[in-house]
Amino acid sequence: MNKMIVVSVAISVLIIGGALWLASKSSSGASGEATVVGGIQYVDISAKGGYSPRVVTAKAGLPTVLRVSTSGTFDCSASLVIPKLSYQKFLQASGTEEISISPEQAQGTMQGLCSMGMYNFQIRFE
Amino acid sequence: MPADQKTYTFHVSGMHCNACILMTESELKDVPYVTNAKSSLSAHSVKVTGDFGDKTPEVIAAELTQVLRPHGYALTVEKMQKDAGWGDFVYALPIALVLIAGFIALQKAGLANLITSSSVSYGTAFFIGLIASVSSCLAIVGGLVLSLSASSAKEGGTWRTQTLFHVGRLGGFFILGGLVGLLGNSLHLGLTANVVLGSIVALVMFILGVNLLDVFHFTKRLQITMPSFLSRHVVQGSKHDHYLAPLLVGIGTFFLPCGFTQSMQLYSLSTGSFTQGAMTMFVFALGTLPMLALLSFGSLNIAHKPWKGIFFKTAGIIVIALALFNLANALATAGIINPLFNI
Repeated sequence: MNKMIVVSVAISVLIIGGALWLASKSSSGASGEATVVGGIQYVDISAKGGYSPRVVTAKAGLPTVLRVSTSGTFDCSASLVIPKLSYQKFLQASGTEEISISPEQAQGTMQGLCSMGMYNFQIRFE
Repeated sequence: MPADQKTYTFHVSGMHCNACILMTESELKDVPYVTNAKSSLSAHSVKVTGDFGDKTPEVIAAELTQVLRPHGYALTVEKMQKDAGWGDFVYALPIALVLIAGFIALQKAGLANLITSSSVSYGTAFFIGLIASVSSCLAIVGGLVLSLSASSAKEGGTWRTQTLFHVGRLGGFFILGGLVGLLGNSLHLGLTANVVLGSIVALVMFILGVNLLDVFHFTKRLQITMPSFLSRHVVQGSKHDHYLAPLLVGIGTFFLPCGFTQSMQLYSLSTGSFTQGAMTMFVFALGTLPMLALLSFGSLNIAHKPWKGIFFKTAGIIVIALALFNLANALATAGIINPLFNI
């Protein structure tokens, strides 16, 4: 019995370790930058089965437009929530949604997520 | 107290709720030779006073069990060996972790990208249902189904409770989907309601999960604080002869915060017709049925297998993990905490 407990714990530790390793690996990838056109900063994010890019760096204090595009998006990522802006909208399955962010709001880190919370993205205003 | 009155304490199995105290007491008091009966929920025991002649406690227990059997209770002299079954964890923990890892891998696989069509036909709705039942919605809808059906099976529930749940879900999606189409009004809830509902579901799942583990006795007390319709009617639906509760819970899944369900509702809304809205939601629910039916009837089936102890503990661990996952997500959506997960 003791041997089995050891084996059981060893397997469990392995699985947890593996999951953590996978999680840390995938969250480091996929980042992007905002583009500035005519004094307005654009942040483009596509939403389908999650958001991409996951992390976008942008300049703080600029009038910003967040463009979220969907194409055949029927999952949770269509249900967009941005807590800092008190924004919540169910996006059309296909299309582009423009959300304006004022210079005052374009500060610090802004989280966007789907209404169930399992997908998220970050805009880092620096 | 007359000299021939004796008092025995018996252990009751199958007693879970406040109503059970009243039920056992009143049934026992109806037995001619019993003068008094006092049940205790926390001790799972009943103190019976009466004129038992020279029957042995074993005989009395057997006789009184005959009276209570129809209600799903049984009396024993000895306290049933309360084996927390720690040994089961040796198997349950790795199995649960493998399944949780599988769940995460399934999320990472980007199943949502399999949906390429941007217009919704009934075929697409069915396919979206299939995808929904194994992706993000599995955490909340599947988790709830697993926790309710495993709990129900553990308490001796039958296939009827489970079937009624699914009938309620399919029927509810049909009717509510039709209403959404007809009224042109979305029935999905706002952000705050979403967060509150998500948290409540997470809490219910957590309590059911801990009960499935069956190692902590304090949760029996928590169970009382659970919405009584859940603890009494759904979990033990078969014993209390309730048809309505599992049906209502099935219908209620229409409102669960699940992205796929919401986008289907949005589509139904745009159809502007009862039939189309109803059929879209019905077909979508039909798509989710295989996975959910597997969870609920699977639990029921396994509940009679010799290794059921391992199953209940595995299910308990998974349900608790999903409950915490849902709770963290609900809090992140409310902006209270930063998102912990991104899958």
